[in-house]
Amino acid sequence: MGKRIYAGIDIGSLSSEAVILGENGILGYSVRNTGADPQRVAQECMEEALARANVAKEDVLSIVATGYGRIRVPFADREITEITCHAKGAHFLFPETRTVIDIGGQDSKVITLDERGAVTDFAMNDRCAAGTGRFLEVMATALETKLSELGQRSLEAKKGVPISSMCTVFAESEVISLIAEGKRREEIMRGLHEAISSRVYRMAKKLRVKKEITFTGGVAKNQGIVKALEVLFKMPVNVPDEPQIVGALGAALYARSAGPRAR
Amino acid sequence: MENERGREKLIKWAVKSPLTYRLLRPVLDLLTRKNDNEPFKIWVRFLLDAMNNSYARKQPVVWMSAFTPSEIAYGMGYVPFMPEIIASVVTYLGKSKGPIALANAYASSDLCSFHRCALGLVMEDYLPKPDLIISSSYLCEGANKFFHYLASYYRCPHLMVDAPYRGGSAAKKYVADQLKELVDKSSRLLGLVPDMSVMSQALELSNKARAYIAEINRLRRSRPSPFPGSEGLSYLAGMVFYSLGSKWGVDFFKTLHLSLEQKVAKGEGYLPEEKYRLLWLHHIRPYYKNEIFKILEEKKAAVSFEETNYLYWPALEPSKPYESLADKIISNIWAGSLERRVHAIEEMVEEYDIDGVIHFSHWGCRQSCGGAAVVGDVLKQKGLPYIVLPGDGADPDNFSPGQTRTRLEALIEMLG
Repeated sequence: MGKRIYAGIDIGSLSSEAVILGENGILGYSVRNTGADPQRVAQECMEEALARANVAKEDVLSIVATGYGRIRVPFADREITEITCHAKGAHFLFPETRTVIDIGGQDSKVITLDERGAVTDFAMNDRCAAGTGRFLEVMATALETKLSELGQRSLEAKKGVPISSMCTVFAESEVISLIAEGKRREEIMRGLHEAISSRVYRMAKKLRVKKEITFTGGVAKNQGIVKALEVLFKMPVNVPDEPQIVGALGAALYARSAGPRAR
Repeated sequence: MENERGREKLIKWAVKSPLTYRLLRPVLDLLTRKNDNEPFKIWVRFLLDAMNNSYARKQPVVWMSAFTPSEIAYGMGYVPFMPEIIASVVTYLGKSKGPIALANAYASSDLCSFHRCALGLVMEDYLPKPDLIISSSYLCEGANKFFHYLASYYRCPHLMVDAPYRGGSAAKKYVADQLKELVDKSSRLLGLVPDMSVMSQALELSNKARAYIAEINRLRRSRPSPFPGSEGLSYLAGMVFYSLGSKWGVDFFKTLHLSLEQKVAKGEGYLPEEKYRLLWLHHIRPYYKNEIFKILEEKKAAVSFEETNYLYWPALEPSKPYESLADKIISNIWAGSLERRVHAIEEMVEEYDIDGVIHFSHWGCRQSCGGAAVVGDVLKQKGLPYIVLPGDGADPDNFSPGQTRTRLEALIEMLG
């Protein structure tokens, strides 16, 4: 009997991920910036994840692609939306998950799911990238700090400075003005996180949010936003060890449940 | 520069010349001789005839909002001209961006893009001048203000039909009195004597079309779905708005009925394979080039019915035009309380054996988007997958292809 290995690949607007899944769990994964060529990054991501898992490409029985670039992965056997894949991945990691908050590079989603991990409803932001990963990248630059430090530093502030605009361009000007006014940067960071969380909370109110909540996507690495969400939802929020790969993991799980591709 | 101005002048002259539409008719007949979509061909001929009559100005040209019963115009011997429908045709032809950009200088970008497209066409002087404008207060709150503005722009009279929030006999009398007043006033303003036998004839023609619509809707319950929702939201809806009360309407709906009868008898669906049946909520869809229906087709999901084609009004009484048209107006499921619309949607879900629902959310459209969450709550409680699809019917700049694909595919994935 051969190895039962499956793969999922998530081509997002800012980052792309690949997960290699065996019978007993994740064998390896890769995270890369998407850049301008989704096809090339899909290939590179896949090769890197395979190398880390020490698995040969020929041993992968089936591949599912997800994310906005899912239709640009020529070697995938099937495409599934990131909505369905994030639900599946989050449910695999935290089986009691009934709500997923996914904030990625350019969009944010709230997804409700049933006890099997199937999507029951979802809401997503429309057209504008306000309050997403790209938004935080721009704000980190304006605040002259590293993106990875935003979350921790914001927790040092006792209160947040209210941020009125969620438009990336206007919020950047607002942050620069607040710095010029002498506001503490940590308080501005906290204000930004509260504004982002409040936006997600309003989106979630369109759905029937149930516990447990699992937070996925790159922005889930920001502890300041995790904290702000916990305050708003009045419940703890699960954060996976590597929240960026949950979509790719869900895709790999779908590949596994569908079985080997037809040859 | 000089050449460009000359070209624009020539195009405008051609658009405004009735001769263009008379010449186009045989040309299009020839070009479409191998196309067996007879109802579509009637729609094209109807439009050409409407344009010819509107620019020829042999009878008074009356601009009407799409929700005002067209029977009034045909019954009075006016030429109805519906700018909102024309804006959708202009969008379909890929020409809405220019007029919308021009209108944005005069109107808020929150105004419905069909109105902005029409406004741009007005500003560029492409449309036939109105002798009178009639609009109605129900369904589209923005329409009255838009048409009022146009009346002041053209310095022509504007008459309005106001429909109350609730139905009942008092409401019917209130609307019937207005319709009588509208007929009296418009005749006086245009110097015509109303001929009530022509009005009765228009109502009879409307009834004939209505009987075919009822049969068409019954045939559309068949599995597989015999008629594409994308066309239900374009020329079929266009004919419901624009042609009722005319011979064109009868001809169109009779032909469509015959065509569907044949398809259903042969068990033909419009998709090669139908796995899911969807209901489309809202009167419109995006008319510019987009992939919504192609994506659904790839996923074997048929748009089996659209709420805009729901037959909500009782047969008219030709001897009582004011009362029966008032009845038609107050029966409208999109006017008045949301409960009435929700009840009709539940009925459509049942009758058309619907698996999932798409509520299109047209930018700036309060009347439908305002109720989207309530409609969704009711349908979700029944376990029916439901999505709100944000977009814009006329402005391609207000449409996000990637997000639209994700929303549609996620809906299909929810269907299992």
